[in-house]
Amino acid sequence: MTAFDYRDDAPYAIREDIGREHRAFWQRLAGPGSWWSGEQRVAIAKASRGALDCRLCIARKAALSPNAVQGTHDHDGELPEVVVDAAHRIVTDQGRITRGYVEDNAAAGLSKPAYVELVGIVVAVFSIDEFHRALGLELEPLPAPREGDISRYQPAMLSEDMGYVPTVPPDGTVGKEADLWPPGRTANVVRALSLVPEALRDWRAIASAQYLSFAGMQNFVKDEARSLTRMQMELIAGRVSAVNECFY
Amino acid sequence: MLRVSAEVTSSEVDLQAINGDADSAAVGIEFGAQLMRFGEAVAMRSQDLPQRRTELLEAAGAAALVDAAGVAANFQRMVRIADAIGIPIDDMQAELGRNVRAELGIERFPSARNSLG
Repeated sequence: MTAFDYRDDAPYAIREDIGREHRAFWQRLAGPGSWWSGEQRVAIAKASRGALDCRLCIARKAALSPNAVQGTHDHDGELPEVVVDAAHRIVTDQGRITRGYVEDNAAAGLSKPAYVELVGIVVAVFSIDEFHRALGLELEPLPAPREGDISRYQPAMLSEDMGYVPTVPPDGTVGKEADLWPPGRTANVVRALSLVPEALRDWRAIASAQYLSFAGMQNFVKDEARSLTRMQMELIAGRVSAVNECFY
Repeated sequence: MLRVSAEVTSSEVDLQAINGDADSAAVGIEFGAQLMRFGEAVAMRSQDLPQRRTELLEAAGAAALVDAAGVAANFQRMVRIADAIGIPIDDMQAELGRNVRAELGIERFPSARNSLG
């Protein structure tokens, strides 16, 4: 059975590029990454799917401070607690993630590059799942992991000028990173995952189908391949961001 | 970005739509109320989501519904990237951004600390 075969599964016609990019990400999810094996990447995806029903996460979300509620997350034990905690918080309580939290996790064994790859996996799976939920579709079964070696790749140029983790500086898209964004200035949210370039490439590929490509984002009127105007798209984007209390 | 796209197209918008006001969402944006309520229902994981989906489908059609689902799903991801990595706003001094933040009152959000210190 083909993953994301929306022709058979969806009551609405879904653009072909959306299915293509979702299938492509599922393929990449199953294989080894920069800091996690294919088995671990699929386990992270599975853990992130469990976040919304996790009793500890529900109790923490309701608490004045997430640190006020101690306990263990609901999960199957495939991953260390620190990894499950990060995956769950990104889904359920991302607004209260702090620099101290990321630093403490690094001291506990979840390195910053591994954390960034984890963020990339969690948000990509969550976003694809949210697309399904928004349209009333069943979630796609997770892929079977593939064996292979992790790369441990890090970009040559890194900066500590923003956020909780190193990122490629605006003028650092050289060599193997030349494709990440055009040379010079770019938005901070584009740089966010650049410590793990493959995570940023996943971000771009999925965004190009679900929202707009980098080139499409320069058009503030209407992308020819979309049925919504840019104002209509940004109204949804703004409301979703506000509900999530996202200042950025 | 809503303000920018409105200025580019010389359109009038009411930014209180971002805070969930359906009447404001209808100002200058076709199907604005339905689009806003659908995005809100996705982000809130509301039990009203099936109703909001049907409302948008009947008003704007299937292609608009699918594109709206894509945008909502994409920004469910974007906000988590921004907050999980702790990135600040790109240009805190830009007048347009300052005015929009003041109008929406979003400096109360916990993640504002990443930009305001």
